[in-house]
Amino acid sequence: MSTFAFEAQAAETTYPLTITNCGRPITFDKAPERAVSIGQSSTEIMYLLGLQHRMVGTAVWLGPVIEGYEEANAKVERLADNDPSFESVVAKKPDIVTAQFQWHVGSEGIVAKPEQFEELGIPVYTSPADCVGKDNTGGGDGVRHAVFTMDLIYQEIAELAQIFNVQERGEALVAELKAREDAAKQKIVSANGKLSAVFWFSSAELDIDPYVAGKNGAPGYIMRALGIRNVIDSEEEWPTVGWEAIARSEPTIIVAGKMERRRFPADDIAVKYQFLKSDPVTSLMPAVKEGRVVEMDAQAMNPTIRTIEGIEALAEAIEKAGLTQ
Amino acid sequence: MVGSLSRTGATVLALVLLFSALWLGAAIGETAIPMDVVARTIANRLWQAGYPLDPINEGIVWNYRLSRAVVAACCGSALALSGVVLQSLLRNPLADPYILGISAGASTGAVAVAILGFGAGLLTLPLGAFLGALLAFGLVSLLAMRAGRGHGATILAGVAGSQLFNALTSFIVTKAANAEQSRAIMFWLLGNLSGVRWPDVWLALPAAVVGLLACLWHARALDAFTFGSESAASLGIPVRRVCVVLIGASAMMTAAMVSIVGSIGFVGLVIPHAARMLVGVRHGLLLPASALTGAIFMVAADVVSRVIIPGQVLPIGVVTALVGAPAFAIILGQRGAVR
Repeated sequence: MSTFAFEAQAAETTYPLTITNCGRPITFDKAPERAVSIGQSSTEIMYLLGLQHRMVGTAVWLGPVIEGYEEANAKVERLADNDPSFESVVAKKPDIVTAQFQWHVGSEGIVAKPEQFEELGIPVYTSPADCVGKDNTGGGDGVRHAVFTMDLIYQEIAELAQIFNVQERGEALVAELKAREDAAKQKIVSANGKLSAVFWFSSAELDIDPYVAGKNGAPGYIMRALGIRNVIDSEEEWPTVGWEAIARSEPTIIVAGKMERRRFPADDIAVKYQFLKSDPVTSLMPAVKEGRVVEMDAQAMNPTIRTIEGIEALAEAIEKAGLTQ
Repeated sequence: MVGSLSRTGATVLALVLLFSALWLGAAIGETAIPMDVVARTIANRLWQAGYPLDPINEGIVWNYRLSRAVVAACCGSALALSGVVLQSLLRNPLADPYILGISAGASTGAVAVAILGFGAGLLTLPLGAFLGALLAFGLVSLLAMRAGRGHGATILAGVAGSQLFNALTSFIVTKAANAEQSRAIMFWLLGNLSGVRWPDVWLALPAAVVGLLACLWHARALDAFTFGSESAASLGIPVRRVCVVLIGASAMMTAAMVSIVGSIGFVGLVIPHAARMLVGVRHGLLLPASALTGAIFMVAADVVSRVIIPGQVLPIGVVTALVGAPAFAIILGQRGAVR
């Protein structure tokens, strides 16, 4: 399906528009003009849809903004690097709040429950990637029962494009992302089914059981897309699994998260390398001994617009390491 | 009176139990490693037996599991000893480092060094924990003195101190709130042995051994304190010096353990009572018995924490509290019956 065919069908949005988002109906009488986004991916999707001039606040940043939008981002007020307070969001008088994670805005949300915004007439749009097939009622990073796929991100793009009446732009963006995903898959098609990996996001203490990717989140999708086996078998989004179990499963590749956040020592990619090389057990792992530790932007490890970049980065690393032969 | 023969028998039995517990700690884990691999690993490392083994398996048994079991044993001993000392000095059967807020203070001190960089690099994490432990104990003692010296006042002061220091710990850790954050807080409030390696043993083992020797050295004094500090003084015990040394030893042991594995409750409270049931109230026997019982209990609790939910490891503090809280209730009930 070419993008051209899409463009021919791109529709104007008719208001009032009601869509069901994360099980709740949200209604818009016109395209929103003052948006606050809580979550880096939500923010970046807005930019990619060309909506930066309608943004009045952003929050929750793991790393630098998507390439090419530094200038646009500098013009939008950053309410907080991490979690904004409910009042700081409301004070911007938004007519829509877009949220990436339900643990920010959700039934257990630390910023607010969506109802709190709705009482003030502010609809909340939450990324489908965080609620479709995912249970966040237990707090924490949640448990994903259904497998994450990029389709959830494409749904988010399409729905935001519809809400803001920029549907043509949305369709073009989705088509572009799909093409990039296919190209990355083609690159390492010969290694399909031969490799295994573990995704290490971070660790609360350096030697402690690390946060690694469960099977159903974005890393699971990246691995499935490239025909790589995840050595971790858990429905939790980021379970803590002991190095003992990880070392014994002997993954071909260790994918280590790179981020600007410095909450834990292990957030730093240099510290991660240092640990892998110096720990008496992990230093014996074939992936460490043979230098198959791949860096990946942490944003790509979350179910975000950047997950495509994760697929591209990993495919490239596999090709470079000569694992496609 | 326990005969010397049966005493030797009891010591041998206790040591056998301790080594069995350590063995189980090395043999049981997240992944299954055959017993013969465990045995050969230990033979390789202790006697250079030179068995050909998969290096990763060998590394797991030796570097992860055995070090963890040894630290658990040290931790159980140290907390139990601290409990014996505090119960004797305060003449309060409900005293232990966790309830009196000493563990909470140690956590706060450790977190202040680790996260705030408190002490500008001069303070190491265990030292920060030690200062926090002393500070908490000082504060709780002051509160208890102001409130009168009854059992209730001491415990209430401890509750207040624990709450305050746990809140401070959470405050420091939550400087940037996040879902993961809550897990980091859990580490300090519930204890976790998963990050233990041999370097931790070289802190835990000396702390436990020095603490044990310091306590044994003052065993007679501790006996005298059973009847109050005035009676101890009339028996020629240098009350102030003994108190300083023993409280310092308790704080040191608690701080060392908290800085390695976080805050673990109820061991210091329950184990001394269990040991009294076994060997009576004379500290010459009670101290080594508590140290051994504590060590065995802690290693066993750690093994339980690893196998109780398949594929998941419970924080050790959860297991000790699950056993400890009902035991605490029983002790409370018995004290009620005595009155």
